[in-house]
Amino acid sequence: MSLTAMTRLELRRLAVRPLAWALAALTIAWLAWTFVLGLGQFLGAQVKLAALADAPGFTDLVAIPLLAELVKLAFLVVPLMTMSSLAGERRTGTLPLLLSTGLPAWRIVLGKYLAVLAWLGLWLLATLAMPLAVGAHGTADWGKLAAATLGTALTLATLAAVGIACSAATGFPAIAAAAALIVTLALWTIDRGAQAAGVSGGFLEWLTLATHLQNLLRGLVSSADIVWFALAIGVSLTLAVRRLGADRERQ
Amino acid sequence: MLNVAGISRRRAGRAAVSDLSFKLNRGEVLGLLGVNGAGKSTTLAMLAGALRPEEGRIELDGRRFDNAPTLARTLIGWLPEAAPLWPELSVDEHLGAFAALRGIGKAQARRGADAVIERLQLGDLRRRLAGVLSQGQRQRLGLACALLHEPPLLILDEPANALDPVQVGELRKLIRERAATGSAVILSTHVLGEVVAVCDRVAILHEGRLRHDAPLGDHAALEKTFFGIATGATA
Repeated sequence: MSLTAMTRLELRRLAVRPLAWALAALTIAWLAWTFVLGLGQFLGAQVKLAALADAPGFTDLVAIPLLAELVKLAFLVVPLMTMSSLAGERRTGTLPLLLSTGLPAWRIVLGKYLAVLAWLGLWLLATLAMPLAVGAHGTADWGKLAAATLGTALTLATLAAVGIACSAATGFPAIAAAAALIVTLALWTIDRGAQAAGVSGGFLEWLTLATHLQNLLRGLVSSADIVWFALAIGVSLTLAVRRLGADRERQ
Repeated sequence: MLNVAGISRRRAGRAAVSDLSFKLNRGEVLGLLGVNGAGKSTTLAMLAGALRPEEGRIELDGRRFDNAPTLARTLIGWLPEAAPLWPELSVDEHLGAFAALRGIGKAQARRGADAVIERLQLGDLRRRLAGVLSQGQRQRLGLACALLHEPPLLILDEPANALDPVQVGELRKLIRERAATGSAVILSTHVLGEVVAVCDRVAILHEGRLRHDAPLGDHAALEKTFFGIATGATA
């Protein structure tokens, strides 16, 4: 019950913040422009593509690049959406008030996480509506699109969990946003050094977010990739819960 | 009702509260006095469940509270200093949110909200956002959130801040009403007149330690005791 109350409270707060609406409007406008451009190029290349034996289709050339663009934007959008989750509460003095209602730290963290996930889910749906509207009248590769959507959703969920953990670690929302951006970028490119040295595979490659997302964007759903996302989300939320619990101990 | 036994807490590397013990009965109003930095807000945060004591224990109705902060959901109402609120939510939304967080059913929450809104004269402000309220209105909304579930223990940290004289009079009446219905009230302030006007007992904190705990005497005697402790003239 109190988890639902926490989620509803956070959703209500997100719904009345101009930042959430401004981000949604600007990014969806950008994504729509990207989609129209991609679709135009795809239609213009129809003759060339028809000559190829195993030519990429609408899903490969339009839908999946659109989701990849969404993921790129998410590296900026998600830290902005999560920065105030806990850092803002701490800064305005409402965190002790929340703790005094007897809510355990995990319910506060999970409630806030679910609210951000709901917003991100709507953002993803609004983006997905564009290729779905066109694909429904054409020949989309639904299986590949489903895998790519799953990968995008898991990436958004991971970025949100990292954002919440960073927000739990500080009392300054701007620092939380900057930290989340750096951590997620590091997670995205952590194996760059190894790649530059010509080393492929190994732990660093496994640790990299891009490795797991790329598989799903290619339509490959493997339990190893899903477990990686689950681990990343679990570790981030656990850190957030522990940090928030420590507030009761060491404010 | 409330039994505080030897609680201690360090903050920012120094002892904010040391070995604090006192008891509070139902229907009693305790004034907690002290100069700035005496440890009043830290004490209240521990009593409200927002901060865990490093030592000692707090019991509410015979149940250990410091290890089970969920007891706070139904038993405690807390108005922290400066009444922190969510600026983007309205008065009604605040009351709805606190009712839900405290696990109060919808019908009871509506009744409770109507009652505190009427009692604290917030009727005209129900749909106004907390961010545009005056400090006095914020203080009344914070108080409404603390009173919503009719808690048996009410903790008020500088509740008269930013209230006008009429509202201060109303606040005093409200505190006495709560005490008359059997609630225990802890009122933290550094204004002696507040304590004299409304409290049955007074406790004086100085440098984190309880230096005085006695039934309220007259204003002159309290002033002498308080300034004696605050200036170090009384050991």
